[in-house]
Amino acid sequence: MAGILVYALHDDEGDFNKNSLGAISAAAKLAAEVGGEAAAVVVGEVGDEACAALGNYGAAKVYRAKSVPEGLAQPIVDAMAKVIDEEGFSYALFGGGLLGFEIGAGLTARLGAGVTMEVTEVKVRDGKLVAERPILQDSQIADVGYVSEPGIIIGRLNAFDIEESGGSAEVVDVEVELSPWSTKASMVQRGEQRGADVNIEDAEILVGGGRGLGAAEGFELCEELAGAMGGAVAATRAVVDAGWYPYAAQIGQTGKTVAPKLYLAAGVSGAIQHKVGMQSSENILAINKDPNAPIFEFSDLGVVGDLHKIVPKLTEAIKAKKGE
Amino acid sequence: MPAVAPSEFPPPFDSADAIGPPTDPAEERIEVGVAIVGGGPAGLACANRLMQLLEDEPELTEKLGEVPVAVIEKGKVPGAHLLSGANVDPSALERLFPDLPPAEWPPVYQEVTKDATYFLTPGKAFPLKPPPPNFRKEGTYTLSVSKLGRFLAEKAEEAGVYILSETAATKLLVEDRIVRGVRSGDRGRGKDGEELGNFEPGSDVIAKATVLAEGTIGHLTYAAYDHFDLHGSDPQAWELGVKEIWEVPKPLDRVIHTLGWPLRWGPKYKEAGGSFIYPMGEDKVCFGLVVGLDTTDATFSVHDALQQFKTHPFVKKIIEGGKRVGWGAKTIPSGGYWALPKRFSVPGMLIAGDAAGMVNIAELAGVHYAMHAGMHAAEAIVESLKNDVDSVNFESYDAAIRDSEIEKDLYRSRNMKQPLTKGLIFGGMMGSAMVATKGAFPGGHWKVEDNADVPVEIGRAAEKYPQPDNELTFNKLDSVFLSGNATRDDAPNHVRIQTRVPREVAQTWVSMCPAQVYEIPEEQLENGAAEVDVHVTASNCVQCGAITAKGGRLTLPEGGDGPLYQET
Repeated sequence: MAGILVYALHDDEGDFNKNSLGAISAAAKLAAEVGGEAAAVVVGEVGDEACAALGNYGAAKVYRAKSVPEGLAQPIVDAMAKVIDEEGFSYALFGGGLLGFEIGAGLTARLGAGVTMEVTEVKVRDGKLVAERPILQDSQIADVGYVSEPGIIIGRLNAFDIEESGGSAEVVDVEVELSPWSTKASMVQRGEQRGADVNIEDAEILVGGGRGLGAAEGFELCEELAGAMGGAVAATRAVVDAGWYPYAAQIGQTGKTVAPKLYLAAGVSGAIQHKVGMQSSENILAINKDPNAPIFEFSDLGVVGDLHKIVPKLTEAIKAKKGE
Repeated sequence: MPAVAPSEFPPPFDSADAIGPPTDPAEERIEVGVAIVGGGPAGLACANRLMQLLEDEPELTEKLGEVPVAVIEKGKVPGAHLLSGANVDPSALERLFPDLPPAEWPPVYQEVTKDATYFLTPGKAFPLKPPPPNFRKEGTYTLSVSKLGRFLAEKAEEAGVYILSETAATKLLVEDRIVRGVRSGDRGRGKDGEELGNFEPGSDVIAKATVLAEGTIGHLTYAAYDHFDLHGSDPQAWELGVKEIWEVPKPLDRVIHTLGWPLRWGPKYKEAGGSFIYPMGEDKVCFGLVVGLDTTDATFSVHDALQQFKTHPFVKKIIEGGKRVGWGAKTIPSGGYWALPKRFSVPGMLIAGDAAGMVNIAELAGVHYAMHAGMHAAEAIVESLKNDVDSVNFESYDAAIRDSEIEKDLYRSRNMKQPLTKGLIFGGMMGSAMVATKGAFPGGHWKVEDNADVPVEIGRAAEKYPQPDNELTFNKLDSVFLSGNATRDDAPNHVRIQTRVPREVAQTWVSMCPAQVYEIPEEQLENGAAEVDVHVTASNCVQCGAITAKGGRLTLPEGGDGPLYQET
């Protein structure tokens, strides 16, 4: 069976990660094309209902390893290796995220499998999966196929969109014996990343601030606008470098890669180093006083003007529309 | 507008900090036979030649220990920081691997069979017939030095050389005026020098012989010049080259050099230089603009002048329908004969290639000199250590260089560049006379001026630069991206300058730098302040070295930082 196994990461409240859910949706769609099933691995004490609900995203089965701790790679490699071994999955698919990278890499080493990292899309060719991976600084796309099973596919952040299909997954409990080395590390604490209140990688609306804000105080405008729209604030390298905003919010070549539904760029010139971090946003709206700013070449809507006047008005208008 | 020399604002840098005794406890030192600093044509030719010679010297090889030859390279891979034209005289290739004909070297595109030189005016190109003899390139081979670095490193590794990539040699280890090796730089430091989670301290690398093959603007080399009093009779000078590679629909059948536009030819601008356009096989061409760093207009930018150059109908025709696939920038030592160091070796150490200024700028040649010098160094080292493995005397290398074509060629062209800073017409006539008489006329010693001593003032060069259209012309940041540079933002700043300087000096750095490392805050740009702050974005740096020429000092970044050139 050409099944695809996905690792479903959850937080301490039991909520599943957006990238994991996207990976399940992608796996379900691909599995249907190659005539197999998508399944998910869940570790830790997650309730039956929560596990079964992964069916809504396309998982036919959920393998739950209650005794395996969430958050550390090696125990989860034990769990996934066992399921792949016993159930004969042909592929393992991971959404983005550091833990996914680490588990995927660990699983690859454990199974002597082939792996593709930073995958942005997966397609089917001759009944087999082919992973698309940007190479050479995203200037080219490489198609990577697999000559042996299982094939490990590790997605880039936000590579896979969530699709809700309705339905419920069958929950199967599995007993996993942890390898001796898997118990050497233990989780001390899980927390949000480096000083950020909001995880910008998960935000659907982002207001990106650049040097055009003029000063650190300019970010207040962005925060108010983001607050009104229910989004988060991101920043360019230059302003992070100037100390106007924390590094956790930096988008671009040496920062994070995001793909929100709306990216509103305020005073961002759109240097390519920034562009590579946000170019896959669904809608890009730019406000800049320089009509020659490169950002206008790849924004869906561009406003040439003074952001210090436009942004507060926009905030006001959105608040008014929402009746606040 | 007042004119002010950047050298009046020296960088906070003491070259003595780059020299010192070993500090690691004896058992933690890394012992190698020969330590070569720099994985370029000089260093890697040296490494390969050493292994060839050691094949016949099993006894010496044994004595050199587990690591007979190590190459320390700061780039991600050898070749990552290499950039040149380049048309290369094949003599060095033939000497290093006699069984491999130059045309079959993987970094070689083709033999040059036709060349032409043009004088450009804003709209026209006039062929110079016959072409100036120093631009005759028939019989040379077009190659990529960043590929050459990779190829020579591969060959060296096959032969048993240890290549330590992503490693910066930050300190020359000297005891009792004898060079004992180098210290590698720390890795994993933060912006303020603090130790990050992945901090790794550097190590002392102790060697029987240390070869400095650092290339242009050698960090340890110039510290050694100071320490051992090696400075030549004139200061070193540099030119800055910015280069692009384009995929083109139709191949170019000749090597082209141009003089004139977009450079201004009045003597007060000192815009001495020109362009090259070279074929790279069937589907690519490369071209670049090379200009002396003694220009006087603070707004002059080689990168932007190159963008302007592409708008010329003559150039446009060559790259029409093509696509830019590579970009890079590098300085070239241009002081020539008068700036050569007094000696090429001191006890325990040898200097080879661009680091020692072995470039014949009039003929745009240096790669083969670097390789020859590296091979001479290898021969001198084996000769000396064979008799006594603890010998630190490599003076036979000095003799070999003095007797070689390197020194003879540089002597012949010793005065050819200097007159060009006096304007193209006078300089061109003088230069031609010198070429024709093989340097005999008018003879003597034309002084090379320190680039940073030339006063700069705000001029009007920038007014002519085109607005980037992202098809033909590009801005600096896009170009830095194409260089493969992805240096982390929290790396310590490796550029030493005074950050509060007269506007003229600040603007000089802003315009000169092809990688947008220097910026003047917008409000100061607008309010016309006489003194301004210079903001440094060191992570953009492609380590061309121009800042050292123009009154600052480029030091070494963390190993692995900087560009990742593929084909420049």
